[in-house]
Parts: sequence; C-alpha cells; structure tokens
Amino acid sequence: MRATDKNDKELLRRYHQRGDLEARERLIEQYLPLVRSLARRYSYRGELLEDLVQVGCIGLIKAIDRFDVERGVELTTYATPNIIGEIKRYFRDKGWSVRVPRGLQELNVRLSRLMEELTVQLERSPTIAELAKAAGVEEEDVLEALETGQAYATLSLSAPSGGEEGDDLDPLESLGQLEHEYEVSEDRAVLAPGLKVLDDRERRILHLRFFDGLTQSQIAQQVGISQMHVSRLIRRALEKIRDEIAVEPEEATGNGVSPG
Amino acid sequence: MSDAVTLTIPHARSYYGVVHLVVGGLAARLDLSYDALDDVQVALDALLETDAYAGGPDVTVEIGLADGGLDLTVGPLEPGALARGLGRDSEESGVGLARLLETLTTGFEVERRDGGDWVRMRKSVPGVSGSGG
Repeated sequence: MRATDKNDKELLRRYHQRGDLEARERLIEQYLPLVRSLARRYSYRGELLEDLVQVGCIGLIKAIDRFDVERGVELTTYATPNIIGEIKRYFRDKGWSVRVPRGLQELNVRLSRLMEELTVQLERSPTIAELAKAAGVEEEDVLEALETGQAYATLSLSAPSGGEEGDDLDPLESLGQLEHEYEVSEDRAVLAPGLKVLDDRERRILHLRFFDGLTQSQIAQQVGISQMHVSRLIRRALEKIRDEIAVEPEEATGNGVSPG
Repeated sequence: MSDAVTLTIPHARSYYGVVHLVVGGLAARLDLSYDALDDVQVALDALLETDAYAGGPDVTVEIGLADGGLDLTVGPLEPGALARGLGRDSEESGVGLARLLETLTTGFEVERRDGGDWVRMRKSVPGVSGSGG
C-alpha cells in the first residue's frame, strides 16, 4: 500500500468517524489535481474548464462523503467515476452533448478498415496520402476523421460500465468498439502504482509498445485488433496512468501546501 | 532550410485536437506513416498533460519541417519541472514521460529559453531516400 493511500484512509477515518472537517478539507485539496485533469478532458472550450472543475468538485465531495473506508478500494478508483458522472450530468442538464458529424464518424470507421488492408498490402503502415487516395477523400478529411476517433478515445475513458449517467456522451461505446473495465485485483498491488489501474490487455499493449518496441501496426497484428484500436488503447491506458499519479503529493519538491 | 508553424493554444484538452490537425497536415507533407504520426501525437499529448506550464493559461507548440523529419518544441515549462516529472513519473507509472518520449520520438532534449524550459523532440522519417541505411 502506498503512502498516499494510507494517508487517505487516515483522513477518511478522521472525517467519517470523528467528523473532522479539516480532514475532509485536506482530502478535497489533495484530489483537486484529479478533478482538474478530468475536467480538462471534457472542456472543449477554454472558458468551460473552471465550470467543470467546480462541478467535478461536487462529485469529489460526494465521493468523499459516501466512501466506505472498509471496502478496500482506493479513493481514486471510487472518486473518478463520481467526478465524471457529475461532469456528464452538467452537460446533460445543459442539454449539450458531445456529438460528431455523421460523415466523419463513418469515414473514421472506413479508414480503420482501409488502414488494415493497406498495412497488409504495403507491408507497412500507410501514409495520410495513401489513406486519402484509398478512401477517395482529401488528406484534410483523413486527418479530421482520425482526430475524431481520438476524441472518442479520451471521452469514453469514463464512468464504469452500466453507469446510469449520460451514456449518450460516449459515442464510441455506443458503437460497441470499446468496453470498459473497472476492476481492482490483488495482483496489481505489486506493479508500479500507475500500472495497476490498467486491465490486462492495456498492460500487455503498453508493454509491447514501450518495452518490446513493437510499432502499433505490429501490435495490431499480434493482438488481432485494428491499429486504430491499438492507438486508442494506448491513449486510454496512458490517461488512466496519468489520472492515477495525478493525486500523488509532490514530495520531491519538499514544499507541500499547507492551509493557512 | 526549414518550414515552421507556431501555435499558441489555451492549455485545455479541447485544443489539443487543433495541434493534432496541424501536426498531421505537416506530417502528410513528409509522407510520415500513420504509425509514426500517431507516435508523435501521443508524445505531444503526454507533454501537454504535464501540469507545469509557466506561460499562464497558454501553451506554445512549434512544429517544424526539417529535412527528413518533424521537429516539435513545446513550452514554456517551469524551469526544472520537467526534469522532476521525468524522474518521478517512471517510478510511479511504470511508463513514465522519459520512457514515452524515448520510444515515440527519434530524440528529445530540454532547452532553456526566456527563463522557461522547452522540450524539443524530433521524429525522423524512416526509409526516406538520402542517407540510406
């Protein structure tokens, strides 16, 4: 168990069992970076960010208030879906949704297939020009459609499956291309803290890419999924890691923030 | 000789896509493969996610086309913050910023400019005619 987690549990106990409001305050402060990181993911306009941070904080506070210390789950694991849920509710209440023009969605799906065909045919990853030619569109369209796919990848890194909130915000999940797992299992404790938030497939893909040095297209072949899917999984895994370590206090700098 | 595009964007994720499109547009001129382009984008996002920007709410990304590759410079970061991040990350995450940049780019370095740190990374196009090998 790492230091922060122990520290969290201590603060949570102080708050839940003794009604220590200062402990609650400290927890909120400690998890603010996580809220900011998640809010940034959803703020497609600069001015929206602060609103989303506020809303996310409500989710965080709810998570802290409802957290069951005896459950053996880390607060991050519990708080993340709560924060995202609150952000999504905000979008839904405003009647906004994250929608992408249909044409781009279709082109993205088509490109994924073409990419696989071309990779086999050329025995290497195709260039943008080659993809554009094969799809019969302009290079700019290819870039935009690829970007669309990535936007989905980050957006769908979200609430636990079966969550009741705003599923309409996850177009990719509705396309059935991504499944989401939120598991906590014992064996992850021995890994670097960041890695234990990953599921087995994500961990395997990161390992193939960053330790074995395989390219995305080589991984796609080996794992038997499309290159675009590999790309999304890599991004999603890295985001999960970033969120996980975002709550680490900056011990290295030696100037911890203390209130007052 | 090199062509360059400089973008200053609000430090919000919604704007990363704008940078991706510009990087993609330049990569297309180099005939970079999708594999390589995506590597650059992932490396770029990892840098943009660093929470140590010194330039207020904005981040600047310079994208240059040098011969045989793409040159990206991101900043300004608080001096020293990145060095800290590079060390801390690898212990915490298993796949830290240093490992990411080493794997995804042909090379990277941190340079000091106007009192801030800037990360310069390069992605060379493999197999481009010229210095064969």
